[in-house]
Amino acid sequence: MSTTQLARGTSPGVGARAARFLPVVLTALVILGSWQLVVTVFDVPSFIVPAPADISSAFRAEFGTIMSASVVTVQEVLLGLILGAVAGVTVALGLSRFPGVSSPVLTAAVVINCAPIVALAPIFNNWFGVTNPMSKAGVAAVMVFFPVLVNTTRGLLQVSPLHLEIMQSLAAQPRQVALMLRLPNALPYLFNALKLGSTLAVIGVIVTEYFGGPSNALGVYIAYQAALPRFEFAWAGIAVASALGLLLFGATSLLERLLMPWHESLHDGDS
Amino acid sequence: MTATRTATTSAPAAGSAGQVERVTPRRSGRLSAARKRVLNVVGAVLVVAVLAGLWEGYKALGRAVGDVVPGTRIAFPVATDDLSMPHVWSILGALVEPARRSDPMSLGSYLLGETSVTLREAFYGLVAGSSLGLLLAVLFLHVVPLSKGLMPWLVASQTVPLVAIAPMIVIWGGKAGAPPWVAVTGIAAYLAFFPVTINTLRGLKSPPKVQLEFMRSVGAGRWQVLGWLRIPAALPFVFAGLRLAATASVVGAIVGELSAGTGRGIGRAILTFAYYYSNGPEKLYAAVLVAAAAGIVFVQSLALIERLALRHRHTP
Amino acid sequence: MSEAEIISVRGVTKQFAGGNRTVTALEDIDLSIRRGEFVSLLGPSGCGKSTLLRILADLTEPTSGTVSLNGKTPAAARTDRDYGMVFQQAGLFEWRTVQRNIELPLQVAGVDKRRRRAKAHEMLDLVRLSDFSRHFPWQLSGGMQQRVAIARALSADPEILFMDEPLGALDEMNRERLQGELLRIWSDTRTTVVFVTHSISEAVFLSSRIVVMSARPGRIAASIDVDLPYPRTAATRTTDAFFAKVTEVRTALHGVPAEQATR
Repeated sequence: MSTTQLARGTSPGVGARAARFLPVVLTALVILGSWQLVVTVFDVPSFIVPAPADISSAFRAEFGTIMSASVVTVQEVLLGLILGAVAGVTVALGLSRFPGVSSPVLTAAVVINCAPIVALAPIFNNWFGVTNPMSKAGVAAVMVFFPVLVNTTRGLLQVSPLHLEIMQSLAAQPRQVALMLRLPNALPYLFNALKLGSTLAVIGVIVTEYFGGPSNALGVYIAYQAALPRFEFAWAGIAVASALGLLLFGATSLLERLLMPWHESLHDGDS
Repeated sequence: MTATRTATTSAPAAGSAGQVERVTPRRSGRLSAARKRVLNVVGAVLVVAVLAGLWEGYKALGRAVGDVVPGTRIAFPVATDDLSMPHVWSILGALVEPARRSDPMSLGSYLLGETSVTLREAFYGLVAGSSLGLLLAVLFLHVVPLSKGLMPWLVASQTVPLVAIAPMIVIWGGKAGAPPWVAVTGIAAYLAFFPVTINTLRGLKSPPKVQLEFMRSVGAGRWQVLGWLRIPAALPFVFAGLRLAATASVVGAIVGELSAGTGRGIGRAILTFAYYYSNGPEKLYAAVLVAAAAGIVFVQSLALIERLALRHRHTP
Repeated sequence: MSEAEIISVRGVTKQFAGGNRTVTALEDIDLSIRRGEFVSLLGPSGCGKSTLLRILADLTEPTSGTVSLNGKTPAAARTDRDYGMVFQQAGLFEWRTVQRNIELPLQVAGVDKRRRRAKAHEMLDLVRLSDFSRHFPWQLSGGMQQRVAIARALSADPEILFMDEPLGALDEMNRERLQGELLRIWSDTRTTVVFVTHSISEAVFLSSRIVVMSARPGRIAASIDVDLPYPRTAATRTTDAFFAKVTEVRTALHGVPAEQATR
């Protein structure tokens, strides 16, 4: 369900790795350089896009403000991610006990997931109060909940028939099948959902903050600076928000590799 | 192609008994698939009914115990008074009542009107964004250095809150003197474009080596390989990308409307009702419900097209 | 029931209900296997040899007839872990190391960790994979994975080993090497082996007895003793006696109307 696949577990030699990252770094340098050049040469007004150098100096000028705003936002994101993941896994564990019921429930979850969940933001703001972190985390949690629920349930139920038969031939108890087969089988599914969820949680929190939030949050900062208008500062905020998304995704991938050392087998074979 | 697809150890391994048991005529299989789909839809409706039941149950429980867990001082996370959680029927009832005192138009038809504005923006955005995405995927396939440099950034961009840029796009639109809906469409297009590019490229690269080598063995040119092998093989991937893009474009349209500050659309309506929340909380809920339903209908109609287009494909 | 008999099959019939017609996979099978035998079930696709094995292993139930394993019902034998099973795919749990895969049957049986580990090392020695105990399945070749699967099946010291085309997914070279390994393991452990295959030469090389089956409905066509002396080696494959036995089995197989295996 996720289109995201960033870190890969193959560990080739340093040379091969450098060869792979060189074009990536070069592209970034070329883009940043020509961006700076175009803005300076054609004197592009800052409302269209400020030069990278201006954004970076804006970032340095308000480093403290932006960082403290990021801390607030990160807390909301993590709270939402954890709430949504715990709820999703719990419901999935319950659901996997009743395979007959799971199919319509998953259908409903997939369909509901097509709805613009960010529209819930004002409701959560009213429930918990605009400045309460729960109002942001709540929206993020709902966004994380559905992919986690769907993926984990699938992982628990879509066990290889051969593995099931092996457990059957060993006269394993249902509890043993759940612990030794279904749970480990669901882990890669869960982590795929968590990686997607880490992105969704950042989106959910930032957008909910656009609806209003504590004055020291990143989404509020971006919207406020854009309205002032102090575009370099808004862009600096956007850059930090992007870095947050990337960082959280990387952290989840790292956790995945630590918890699933066998997972390297699943990494190759991706385009 | 950077890597070949390798089979995982958990490849489907039907026992030999499966071979014997698989004598069921095909037609009954298709019939039961249709029945299964109907059952799923009925079940999904039931799930929504259960959710509504949970809402009312939680509310009734909260009312009965005064929003505090009995015997403790732990408060319920969400208050259950009519202001915080209106009854399901008063939300649905609000849809048929007038939206404004001076105006006989019902809230339902007002919201539908606003929704159609949003869906139009989302649709234009989807068309523009996915066309660009498709073109770029084909370009990436044939210009390898471009794809090597840009692809990792595109993939990484999926982990980034792209929607954070929405206020900036609105400002661009405003300075250019364009009406708000243009900026909103732009945001929808911009969010729709990424999943289409990534999934299409993955799909274009999906044909196995055997098929590519066969095409080469019969002397097919690059465009023949593209048209007769790669594009047909990519279709399921393209549709998967389009579905993601459709969801993203609706989100983009709504978030864009919020940032735009003026104009029409369901996002504006939600913001307005959120502002006048204490005057009629059920109106906000009704608006959110309509927005959710609109998003679902939008994406599901695309899924329907997908099912029609791929009806001859064997889906494992 | 004779003292040496460990598996007894009496009048077993198996039918599958498929839509509006029933398919008879096995019809009136009688079979007796003595302790320590290496018996191959040989036949074309659709002769029900795998189904018969699955009935013995209590993975499916016969429509009629009785089966006894070690004097018990298959269900009781399964719960007592009297048999180990190897499938065509190794089916290792990809999240477990080689060693922990081999420990699986013992873990299910509730054996404590120290004895599990000791037993796993013993099994790793048996299949000569001691250097790979900490590897994950994806790091092993197909042949090595299958050796782990054999070690796993034997780790709980079962009296019977069921093998469902265990070498079918391997290439010819690996297959012959593993056949030799299998005979060595069999002579080390003295386990009773029931081996399903559709390869005549494989059956002749391995078995002390070959049960030839015919298809539609699945029946036993012949039971052929293979009196080639053990230990059998690569040289055995080139003897006249080996070729004579292969011919005898082939005749028995083709004497009945049978569709040739498709693979």
